[in-house]
Amino acid sequence: MATKVLVVDDSAISRKMMIRALPKEWEVEISQAANGQEALEAYRQGKAEVMFLDLTMPVMDGYQTLEVLQKEGLDCFVIVVSADVQPQAEERVKKLGAMAFIKKPVNTQKVVEILKEYGIL
Amino acid sequence: MSISFRTVSQLSEDQRDALAEIVNIGMGRAGASLAEILDEFVILSVPQIRLVSSQDIGEALEELIGAESLVSAIRQPFYNHLHGEALVVYDEHGCRDLADIMGHEGTLDEKVEEELLLDIGNILAGASLQGVAEQLQAEITFSPPSILANHVPVSELLDPDELEWSYSLLIEVNFTLEQRQFKSHLLIMLSEDSIDTLIQDIEAFMESL
Repeated sequence: MATKVLVVDDSAISRKMMIRALPKEWEVEISQAANGQEALEAYRQGKAEVMFLDLTMPVMDGYQTLEVLQKEGLDCFVIVVSADVQPQAEERVKKLGAMAFIKKPVNTQKVVEILKEYGIL
Repeated sequence: MSISFRTVSQLSEDQRDALAEIVNIGMGRAGASLAEILDEFVILSVPQIRLVSSQDIGEALEELIGAESLVSAIRQPFYNHLHGEALVVYDEHGCRDLADIMGHEGTLDEKVEEELLLDIGNILAGASLQGVAEQLQAEITFSPPSILANHVPVSELLDPDELEWSYSLLIEVNFTLEQRQFKSHLLIMLSEDSIDTLIQDIEAFMESL
């Protein structure tokens, strides 16, 4: 069965780049969200088994989204995808429950590495 | 190909979005460099980007910073694939906050302040432009930064008649530290040819997606 993947980023181009970086052999059903609030709505509708989450977004940023997800039990595999390359950013999101961190610009190889590491692919 | 009258509306929504994302990645690098120097976590914001013609730069800056404000600025020319110069503009708060963050108390010696502005400006302009260039697979080379103005009214910062650049990418950079705020504005001034090159690069970048 196809994995439900949610791509969260305020930039449409960035979402497109993320989707393009997903491995071809991975059977997915993709939804998109432009900020944390939209992401949570989609998550609650069961559209996110795997979430690719940007950090810097208007309305609700990635950190806030992770906090809410944690409160709601975090039934989803979150991979943060960010231009924020401070080592502390990675530490912080992992404390908030994110499983992995990808630095932008994203590439397929890195995505595959993470998905294989956690047995998703 | 050279187009003489290009306004911000001539960047399509897709082009603006692509440019914003490219700049965003550049800013992320600048933020990380800044964090390393200040030894503080830097909270990044969504960069606001506008393309304005050189005649309108003054007005846009006054709108952004406030016409009455005093500003200091550094300039850093770059050349090669893209030709222009980067300006980093700090308002009074920005200068003071910066000095404070760097551990300077009381009145700041002018020379020390200039050094600070140059160092931080060099990081912001260099890291962000380098990030932009890398993604466009372009090479740019920097000349050393210099002080453009120190504590002058915004309205006197740039004289449109003397600008050799046609356009400016006006980028609002707002780095917030955990406890304190530090605001500056990054302007990337580009020659007419370079704007055309940039737009072609963005098109190629989008086509590669």
